[in-house]
Amino acid sequence: MSEPVVDEAAQAPPAPTEAANKPPAQAKSDATNPKPAEAGAPKKLSPAELKKQKQAEKQARRAQQKAGGEPPTQQKGPPQKDGQKQQKDSKQAPKDDKSRPLPVRRRPSQSSVPAPKDLKKEAKKDWKQVGLFFGHLYSQPRQHSMVGASKDVHPAVLSLGLQYSSYTVCGSTARMVAMLLAFKAVIESYQTPVGTSLARHLTSHHLSPQIDYLRSCRPLSISMGNAIRWLKDIIIKIDPSTPEAEAKRELLEEIDMFIRERVTAADKLIRDLAATKIEPGDVILTYASSSIVEQTILQAHKAGVPFSVIIVDSKPLFEGKQLARKLANRGINVRYYFITGVSHAVKDATKVFLGAHAMMSNGRLYSRVGTALVSMLANSHSLPVIVLCESVKFTEKVALDSIVGNEVAPAEELLSESERAALIPLKSQLPQTSSKADDKTNPEETKTGTSDVLKWIEGSDNLHHLQVLYDVTPAQYINMVITEYGSLPPSSVPVVHRLSTNT
Amino acid sequence: MPSEDSHSLNFLPQFTTREAPLSLNKSSGKNLRTENPTANFVLRSSPKLGTTPPPPSRQLHLTPSASKITDTRISICSVDRMTQGAVAVAPGLSSFLKSLKTTPADPSVEHFISLLKRRQIRNSRPCAIATTALMLRVVGEFKGRDAAKLMERIRQVGRRLTAAQPREVVVGNIVRRVLGLVREVLDENVGGDTNGGFDTGRNTPTQPHDSMTRPTLASSISTFSPLKHAAVEPMDASLHQSDMSESGELPKRPGLLTSHTSYAPASAAPLVNSLFGLFSQPTDTPSNASTPTGYTSPEGKSAHSLNLERLADLSKSQPNLDLRAEVMDGIKELQDELEQSDEQIASVALEHIHSNEIILTHTASTTVQKFLLSAARKRKFTVVHAETYPHDNTATHGILLTGRKREGHVHDEEDQWKPLTSVGIPVYVIPDSHVFAIMSRVNKVILATHTVLANGGLVAAAGAHMIAKAAKEHQTPVVVLSGVYKLSPVYPFDIDELIEYGDAGSVVPYDDGEFVDKVDVENPLYDYVPADLVDLYITNLGGHAPSYLYRIVADHYRSEDITL
Repeated sequence: MSEPVVDEAAQAPPAPTEAANKPPAQAKSDATNPKPAEAGAPKKLSPAELKKQKQAEKQARRAQQKAGGEPPTQQKGPPQKDGQKQQKDSKQAPKDDKSRPLPVRRRPSQSSVPAPKDLKKEAKKDWKQVGLFFGHLYSQPRQHSMVGASKDVHPAVLSLGLQYSSYTVCGSTARMVAMLLAFKAVIESYQTPVGTSLARHLTSHHLSPQIDYLRSCRPLSISMGNAIRWLKDIIIKIDPSTPEAEAKRELLEEIDMFIRERVTAADKLIRDLAATKIEPGDVILTYASSSIVEQTILQAHKAGVPFSVIIVDSKPLFEGKQLARKLANRGINVRYYFITGVSHAVKDATKVFLGAHAMMSNGRLYSRVGTALVSMLANSHSLPVIVLCESVKFTEKVALDSIVGNEVAPAEELLSESERAALIPLKSQLPQTSSKADDKTNPEETKTGTSDVLKWIEGSDNLHHLQVLYDVTPAQYINMVITEYGSLPPSSVPVVHRLSTNT
Repeated sequence: MPSEDSHSLNFLPQFTTREAPLSLNKSSGKNLRTENPTANFVLRSSPKLGTTPPPPSRQLHLTPSASKITDTRISICSVDRMTQGAVAVAPGLSSFLKSLKTTPADPSVEHFISLLKRRQIRNSRPCAIATTALMLRVVGEFKGRDAAKLMERIRQVGRRLTAAQPREVVVGNIVRRVLGLVREVLDENVGGDTNGGFDTGRNTPTQPHDSMTRPTLASSISTFSPLKHAAVEPMDASLHQSDMSESGELPKRPGLLTSHTSYAPASAAPLVNSLFGLFSQPTDTPSNASTPTGYTSPEGKSAHSLNLERLADLSKSQPNLDLRAEVMDGIKELQDELEQSDEQIASVALEHIHSNEIILTHTASTTVQKFLLSAARKRKFTVVHAETYPHDNTATHGILLTGRKREGHVHDEEDQWKPLTSVGIPVYVIPDSHVFAIMSRVNKVILATHTVLANGGLVAAAGAHMIAKAAKEHQTPVVVLSGVYKLSPVYPFDIDELIEYGDAGSVVPYDDGEFVDKVDVENPLYDYVPADLVDLYITNLGGHAPSYLYRIVADHYRSEDITL
């Protein structure tokens, strides 16, 4: 799976390919020293120029809203080739547009990155969707390429970021572990600049660009947030007098220990405990795929308990398919349903095992979207719902519904290639009035491809595809949470969270 | 004249023994194009499903059991007249309706049965339309004056249709409605000399052999209903016998027959669409008129034999009663009702949707789309549409993009309507897994249905149960839209019998052989939604509480007809 990623990673080092388009001098100043340039730019502007810049931005915005057409850079680009500030200005405009629903939260290191054109288009599409449900969540489009990544970003992190955005590395725990391993590589190759200490410099100046890049690829998971917090804590605590080599070695050891303690050992404890809950004759229902649930089931199977498994799965990732395949290869009797059939699936089940993205402090489970449905139906059938969750995924965050905090997935992912292909025959029936996007494509192309289907959807003003990744399961549907500290009711989550963070 | 006589004499044996030669259309390969959604992996792998046709005589005794595997038995003894035509259309509702114009009733029944079995006609509305058209044909070709025999004939066809596809409950509903029509016509014509209990006892009995071969589904779910207070079952064997002899007396009344045949065209050519239909064309009365009003009288069960005599008397004493024409008028009204039910449901939309609501729905249902469109003329609201993967997602996306379904429509030209999005209604398509997540923002859930059962529960596309349940958890009202024709007198004692399982290949493609070999892939097509999850039913008669549905059932079906 990771081969394409590696390929791309190989091209990574000359990251500022974008810079090639610019006049060399600016490119250099931009690329080599992004932060000062960014910081310095506003100062260099005279008030009049500042005003001009703002007006230009405004116009750009207006133009975009009205026309809904090309990004403003294209109109503005050509005449403003002279002067660094104007170059800046042309770069800032689209960025502002993208992040307008939210307060700008890009870090300086990132904001020097001009977004490639397709990204801008995506931004526009998301912009169309901003609205009813998850308007507050559309921030910036997910980054699917390394184009424009800051040069500070370590190659290991670059490739990891791509693996995140393509769901190659997927799942809360896996993402956290992969991130920590990448950070190990980052720390290993880190050299403290003269004049600063590792404890002061590493976190803020070297690690945070990496984190920002990862975040731009896909929002950080709760567990990643926890791990980053822990890592920063460790770094801060390093005595500045420690020699750099030693400090780095200590850090690497700490990270290894963290992974061993909080993930590897915790997983073992959890699966040992959870496997005892599987009794002969049980029918275990699980949703999508969770590594810890998989380990538990395999452990119970190894112990010789006769039981069968029902896997409920859903679009678009079909993770459950992988799990079903693995379990079936081990000789476990597996049944496979889609989420639409879940009310039939729960009828035959005796226990429900769920993985978690995070456990919230109000006892609610934040997990893959659809989990709430499964646990709701299981609860209504009086099935025990058991959540398996390492304590590193506990968070002090609380949520009442799935809307306030969530991760919006790109809407195009809703339709797979084959589904798009199935829609192609509808072309002749499309309403002629639909949009300009349609009019544009229709005369030009006699043959319609699957990408056109997306254009229809994009083109129709009121049709939106909406996809999020998580939902929040109310605590009353959950009977038990199994962690490395033992099994507990969901109400005990905040207590355990405190215990595990204050050790 | 003699030819007609011989025809009518042949009539009875023809459909009981079924030795009539059917023009097997094996040459046309598309009959074998088994787009059969219920094929399991096992069955799909067996190569020649349709090449060895079962002998036609077994048609009558074919009993699809509740297990999903037997459904895949495909009989290819269809009489697909369409294939001889120039147009090569995929077999379906429209091809059936076309062929119905030129095909006599019996082959049409066979044709319909084969279409049902292969799921080439599926879903409630196409089934209802096809059944009504077929009933019109059957009644139109019926030669005779004997009401009991007509009913027996309808019943017989109905039994075979429901046995062919027990889960398309609508087929049985329509047959029961037609039977009710016959009774109604009789009641009206008998006039004042009947007491209230006249019709209730006249239950043309099932034929003896059929009690053996009746499909399990039909027998177990429909033999009980609170609407029939032991009306049907106590029919004793002697009565069967007497009635059999009664209906076997066809040759005794040649006079009536010949007088009657003057109406009929001189051959077995279609009656329905000939000149005959011109005279009996109904004025476009609103379909409410066709729904019988309150025939529920369960009293007077004692007069069975008396009634049967009266029935015979009736045919003799009222020679000018054109039973057949009246029934056909009734069936045409039923057709009108089918056509108009969506509009009637949509006409109350404004009473149920207020401004700025967020409405969640699922599947590509024309009823729901028309309902929402009608509300969209005056109000602004937002629709959240669960895509119902993997059965209906293509149709769902299609209906949202183009505003109509791709298949299953008869009147493709007239039935075109705009998509919701083009009238300014924002539509958000979500995957099914998002239902719970989004439910906290939803004001109202509007569900389409496959069948509504007499206890207020419903059978709807898979996913409906979890949607209704999630709505209940959030205290969001659930509204179900359903034409009265979907309302069935069947009680769901074994819910699993009503659930059809679909092609597992749409869940996991068959290319994935390794996976398919090792994992049981299941694909239920329908969900049963219990009555307590539904807040309101809207039918073409108005809005009803789920607990009131039994009453509407009682209005539309005679208790004697509940068991076909």
